Amino acid sequence: MNALSFKHVGKMYRRSHLGRVSETVGLDGLDLDVRQGEVFGLLGLNGSGKTTAIKLLMGLHLPTKGAVSVLGRSVPDIEILARIGYAPEAAYLNRSLTGRENLRLFAALSRLPATGREERVTDMLKDVGLAHAADKRLSEYSKGMLQRASLAQALIHDPELIVMDEPVTGLDPLAIKEVRALILWLKGKGKTVLFSSHDISEVEKVCDRIGILSGGRLARVMAQDEWRGKPDALEDAFAASVKRTDGVGEIRLG
Amino acid sequence: MGTIKAVFDYTLREHLRHKVWLGCALFGLVMVASALLASALARDERARVMLDLGLAANEAIALVSVVFLTVHLILQEVESRAVFLILTHPVKRSNYLLGRFLGTLAAVGLGMGAMGLAHWALLRLLGWPVEGSYLLAWSCSLAKIAIMGALSLFLSLALTSEAAAMSFSVFFWMLGHFSAEMRFLAQKSGNALLGAAITAFSHAAPDFAHFNYRDAWHAGVPDPGWALAAAVYALAYCGACLALAAQVFDQKEF
Repeated sequence: MNALSFKHVGKMYRRSHLGRVSETVGLDGLDLDVRQGEVFGLLGLNGSGKTTAIKLLMGLHLPTKGAVSVLGRSVPDIEILARIGYAPEAAYLNRSLTGRENLRLFAALSRLPATGREERVTDMLKDVGLAHAADKRLSEYSKGMLQRASLAQALIHDPELIVMDEPVTGLDPLAIKEVRALILWLKGKGKTVLFSSHDISEVEKVCDRIGILSGGRLARVMAQDEWRGKPDALEDAFAASVKRTDGVGEIRLG
Repeated sequence: MGTIKAVFDYTLREHLRHKVWLGCALFGLVMVASALLASALARDERARVMLDLGLAANEAIALVSVVFLTVHLILQEVESRAVFLILTHPVKRSNYLLGRFLGTLAAVGLGMGAMGLAHWALLRLLGWPVEGSYLLAWSCSLAKIAIMGALSLFLSLALTSEAAAMSFSVFFWMLGHFSAEMRFLAQKSGNALLGAAITAFSHAAPDFAHFNYRDAWHAGVPDPGWALAAAVYALAYCGACLALAAQVFDQKEF
């Protein structure tokens, strides 16, 4: 069964400035299925449509055409959000609150029952290694701590599907290792994980399948056995599948 | 209801940790300065000057606070992308707006309450003869502030420019004190179309004549019908502004 599915999804961004309307393609007929219980990586260059696909999934954007369904329901659907955990590429948290207050807020917004909510918040703070800083304001947190707080809010309600946008970007090697362990732990618990990344080496370590996006389209889907034990297989497939759309030329050496 | 309360709680906490209490400190300074000035006036006018000055200062400071806070309320969360995380939880956008608005109103109301208490205590100290209801005068100011908060929130979302929203809010605040004059002008215009436009505009802008209790201060406490009509008007105007704001906010993509 599919955890999520994109059917011919298109997204066009329209901007008007001083009467001039410009259009940018976010997604162009994306067809993609992610199965329940798998770790799926979305690979692509900047502007390839990874974040747009995730925002459509989370109901932050509406598709211009096509349909998106998550856990058997069409999105946008507020109710389905209670079963999804979302960790954006940066910790977009309210810095005036403490770590504990932030988690309390997201626990309440995720409709966790009031009974046992406080214990869940305390346990989650321990799980992400923030118990010692639980009552400090987020404005005093380091980048790594903020990233952990962001992961905690995504997992506080024990979601079935976890969506991570560039979860390892800007993290130190130790933190990257921890995120990798977390993804594998989630998989072990039967959760579906979708994450986007530029980092091929990271993706190949944890994913069951990957999808390579280019110009808003799915250029290729690969399963683990296509790259496991084959050095550079994923990198070569990636290089062969993507086209630069940002107008930047190649670096010429010699 | 649970999500509105969660958003209300964090909004209130956020404001109390930031700026609102500066308003009270400013008011305290104004009160001390005015007490010094008032002491130079005739003894029998001293309390009257303090009463008018205090109520006006309380309202003016609350107006500045509420316009500033509500104009930034959503736009700042969009800018910092904190809204991403809120809206990727099962939260209706209208509930989020309502929670944010009520939290802000509560913060400003608390500030007004603190200022009102200080003012009332100072009046008692000066031997102010209790003729009218201080609480009713204070409530009328709060109703005006609630209307301006809802209107500023709507303007900030409709115009998406903080400067424009603040300018229009101040414009409507001034206009709201001249509703009767505008309708008189409409009658005297001699042009049916212009008259209709001015009349429509006078009804669209808030009509603060409903809350002019301070003008009738010495007449004592007015009949309950007057207070009820004022409360209904305030609730209806706030409701209309919030409904429009929710409509605009629903269309937004992040």
